Amino acid sequence: MKILVTGMGGELGTRVAQLLEQRAWATEIVGVDFVPPRRRLRRAEFRRIDPRDRDKLVRFVTDVAPNVVAHFGVYEPSSRMTPESAVERTELATVAALSAAARAGNLEYVVVRSGLEVYGPRSASVSVPDEDALPAPRTPYGESLLEVEAIAAGLRVQHGVGVCALRYAPVLGSHVPSPLGRLLRLPVVPVPAFADPPFSVLHPDDAADAMVAAIERRFDGPLNIVGPGAATPWQAVRLGGRIPIPVLPGLWGPAAQAVELAGAAIAEHVVELLRHGRTGAGSRAVDALGLTNLRPTQDVLRELFDWADVVPLQMVRGEVA
Amino acid sequence: MSRDFGLDTDHSSAPEPIGPALRRRLGGRYPIDPFGFDPHLCDLLYPAVSGLVRVAVSGAEHVPTDGGAVIVANRGFGIAEPAALAVAVRRATGRRLRVVGAPALPIAGSALRRLGAIASSYEDLSAALRVGHLVAMPLAPTWMRTGAGMPPLALMQATTHTPVIPAAVVPGGPFGTALKPWRVRFGDLVRLDEPYAPDDPLTAARFAEAVREAVSGLLT
Repeated sequence: MKILVTGMGGELGTRVAQLLEQRAWATEIVGVDFVPPRRRLRRAEFRRIDPRDRDKLVRFVTDVAPNVVAHFGVYEPSSRMTPESAVERTELATVAALSAAARAGNLEYVVVRSGLEVYGPRSASVSVPDEDALPAPRTPYGESLLEVEAIAAGLRVQHGVGVCALRYAPVLGSHVPSPLGRLLRLPVVPVPAFADPPFSVLHPDDAADAMVAAIERRFDGPLNIVGPGAATPWQAVRLGGRIPIPVLPGLWGPAAQAVELAGAAIAEHVVELLRHGRTGAGSRAVDALGLTNLRPTQDVLRELFDWADVVPLQMVRGEVA
Repeated sequence: MSRDFGLDTDHSSAPEPIGPALRRRLGGRYPIDPFGFDPHLCDLLYPAVSGLVRVAVSGAEHVPTDGGAVIVANRGFGIAEPAALAVAVRRATGRRLRVVGAPALPIAGSALRRLGAIASSYEDLSAALRVGHLVAMPLAPTWMRTGAGMPPLALMQATTHTPVIPAAVVPGGPFGTALKPWRVRFGDLVRLDEPYAPDDPLTAARFAEAVREAVSGLLT
């Protein structure tokens, strides 16, 4: 089976490629991204292509003619690029890679990375949405994810391929570039003054396991992938030993600008998470994909905060000498 | 059921002494579930609530000690019934109780969710039952809590796959009529006489009628 991993240069794309290398059924693993993989890969082949070079990407995917596409070419705003650039690259990568893969003629199955952001802010009536809840995104990232799902669903209609959308909770980890993770590691963190809604997160290893399990089991449809339990903004900040700064509802714009000056740009979907929370019902994925031992939200947060500080090389040399 | 920081989100624990509890709160080392429930806070408040709302429990053997289930109870216009029911459940089984009916208000809604309230919606009730919580669902309020009100039909559709236990809540002091304890009486599981398809909307209507009769029977 020939598998194309788009976004292989990201943390999740690289982890999935490593897991696929251990599977005998994944006979050929090919990846593409605008940055190289983050770890050494033994079997997988990688081609560095910027999604904005549409023709090159289409030619490459057409030549590969994959049986399965694991689509991680979905870029989170303020993670590794500006919000505008993230939305543009996501759209270009999705349209070019998926349509070229379908036209190549061998495509059987597509899994796309999506997120709980597609549900929009928690409402008074639906605070823990399952996959049957109507998506109603209110942020550019949520809209971008829903568009990715829609493009992939179009392949199901036009080409009869199976399509799965993995709606991840925010993925946090010491090596995962994430605006939420960066924000929570600041010494002083803005939190809502009059609310403390729960949010759930996901460990990157669990996110990668879910992608491989979806390919193995060929699940068709959307699935929420969520770590058990939750945390609230005030609690998460204290868990990391940081200082919470209450922000009044109308002052999130200036607060976001101040935080960006401190080195952690926060996009709209992160502000939405802090103000309204973000959780989802993940039991369907647990049953459908056989996901066991998903790491609880608070364990993921503890691991994020336990990340060792950067050690200056000069000091290390001195100690060795 | 998940355990964080040694606390179970379904089964209650003894409250911590005030010093360690305060340190735990300040350090953020307590669990929260996706509905916003805060079991550590509930354990801390339980002695005060159970002292204020004294409860006499009967039929405790009907309340499941594990797994998702719905307790359908009568209610009036007061705010003490959920507290009385939660105290009764905790005394009967040691379990924590979620209560349908979190208000859509910014601060009060958030505070009540911390204590176990969930939204009055099919989606949130289904999600809570799927992960194995014990949920209380009130019937429509009746004057002076003297009868069983109408069951919420839209919510009943979420309950046809789980055990449904009727309960009668009779007021006591200090929020009731005199300084008597509240009386909470649990009944046997609600069953339908004829075979049924759980996903059939008519099944929910039949369960609604059966549970209303069962609560009425417990009140007489």
